[in-house]
Amino acid sequence: MKHPMPVNIVVAHALEAKALVKMLELERHHASTDFVEYSNSNKLRLLVSGIGKEAIAAGVTYLSEQQASDNGEIRAWLNIGIAGHRDASLGSAWLGNKITDHSSGTSAYPPQLIEGVEVGSVVTVDEPENSYPLNAAYEMEASAFYAEATKYSTAELVQVFKVISDNLENPVSEIDIRRVPGSIAAQSPQLLILIERMSAIAREYNSNQRLPGYFFEICSQIHLTVNQKLQLRRLCQRYKALGLEKELGRVAGRKASDARELIQQLTERIDRISEA
Amino acid sequence: MFSTIYIEEEVLESERVRKLLDRFPQIPQVVCDRYGEVFNRKSQNFRLQKIAPALILAKKYGNKVLAAPSGYGYNDSKSYYFSHMLNCVYDCRYCFLQGMYSSANYVLFINYEDFEKAIVEKIEENNGGGVYYSGYDCDSLALEPVSNFCSHFLPVFRRYPNAELEIRTKSTQVRCLLDTEVVPNCVIAMSFTTSEAAVQWEHKVPSIGKRLEALHKLQLAGWKVAIRFEPLILGAEGLAPYEALFAQIFSKLDGDRLHSVSSGLFRMPVDFHKRIVKLYPDEELFARPTQTTDGMIALKSTEENTHLMAIEELLLNYISSEKYYRCA
Ligand code: SF4
Repeated sequence: MKHPMPVNIVVAHALEAKALVKMLELERHHASTDFVEYSNSNKLRLLVSGIGKEAIAAGVTYLSEQQASDNGEIRAWLNIGIAGHRDASLGSAWLGNKITDHSSGTSAYPPQLIEGVEVGSVVTVDEPENSYPLNAAYEMEASAFYAEATKYSTAELVQVFKVISDNLENPVSEIDIRRVPGSIAAQSPQLLILIERMSAIAREYNSNQRLPGYFFEICSQIHLTVNQKLQLRRLCQRYKALGLEKELGRVAGRKASDARELIQQLTERIDRISEA
Repeated sequence: MFSTIYIEEEVLESERVRKLLDRFPQIPQVVCDRYGEVFNRKSQNFRLQKIAPALILAKKYGNKVLAAPSGYGYNDSKSYYFSHMLNCVYDCRYCFLQGMYSSANYVLFINYEDFEKAIVEKIEENNGGGVYYSGYDCDSLALEPVSNFCSHFLPVFRRYPNAELEIRTKSTQVRCLLDTEVVPNCVIAMSFTTSEAAVQWEHKVPSIGKRLEALHKLQLAGWKVAIRFEPLILGAEGLAPYEALFAQIFSKLDGDRLHSVSSGLFRMPVDFHKRIVKLYPDEELFARPTQTTDGMIALKSTEENTHLMAIEELLLNYISSEKYYRCA
């Protein structure tokens, strides 16, 4: 895993984190007093939020606030956790392609871009479910996680992955929680595909959206109003799209004092070059 | 073929849907209430969804046959369009659909009988006439093996010989047409850009040669065929690419037997353009200077009219001027 992996993984319980810490070679990261966090040098983050919708929404908000200064780059968000199902075998797992919030009755549909991973429905309940009426993985966080994380990233990069830990034959009251890390570790082939692919999509997205470094250089040299900053941003994108980033370098190196004049010059120059 | 098939609960048991689902048992199927829960949600990204589009099977409510935008058509008859599908399997970088929807999933409205009823009503309102465009919000033929659009809608127009159906496409899926008796009031209109533009911007679209081959077969079989040069995007190469394109097309097709030929410049609503720029800030086409008139954005070119006239002059070496019109 040499590439940057701009992925936030959020789990509800420390036991769900245990296998992931080992699988993804993460280290404890002491940034918060409210949450247990792990990370690695590739930008992968893992946060233990606590159980339930409120706790996971707070965890997502906390992580997004921490990352707010990332130059507008987005990150993928993945909720991994255990769930119950009426008859799916223990240890089976899937990516949620429909997440229904039991209390509100609303459903969300995470767009499915990733091949090679099992898929199925997920229902989020407020209390542990014993009868599992629908053909779905029953758990307690996914709907809130999805609703919150899609405020900070694009829906395609927000996914939930559930591992079955209980069913009608093995009710939730009898779960041996010590088996949780093993169940999650057993899913490492699917999880690694998922995390690799999500981070590749996020990386590509960020690279397409990346602004030339000169944009930041110019911004640090000249005072720009909010509107001028937006104009400069678009101009820098245009220069980049036309393979003319170096031209910006010349401007950045100069001591231009007037932002309006600079924007006008840059506009005239690129319009002249690119007009058919 | 599709990453997922979403099905509105209301249409789940319809025969058309059941048959379609039976053909793709390996694709995950997800039931939803209304297609709007899945399609065009605000946090979605068209560009990312193009990586693995899904199919959504839905029922269309409300108006099914709408007045065509002014300047869309080739004669003065009243013209309309209908969209049994939203979005397209191809990925042309200049396509306005990227700015219209935040989702690249394909929505297939399967209540064809309701579309048929609305079309017939409109035809009768127009004393049996009118021009009806299919392929405004999609490419009508590209998904034909799944949609069976032709087998349903061609017989409708066969019953009304004075109403004209134009199927706008870049697809080579013409088997359905070749296997059917010619419908004389149906026109297959194929869009072309220069080969340079096609390579640069028409992703996943069949090559110019293959499209011409399909049109040639249709023309030989007696189908009415039309050519749409859209969008014309003028580049530094000048007229040479157009000379080559016209030579290629008219060496294969009989210009005298073409139904019509039209051209249209690159333009779209400003809001769509803004959204597309956000999706593709790295795209050269959108880095070019633009000009806005009445809410429509176009590429800025001081020489636009001169270029357009020069292209038309080249074109009129191959076809009579009566067959040609410029899209507004
Ligand atoms: S073929 Fe037409 S509808 Fe399809 S992507 Fe290209 S321009 Fe858009």
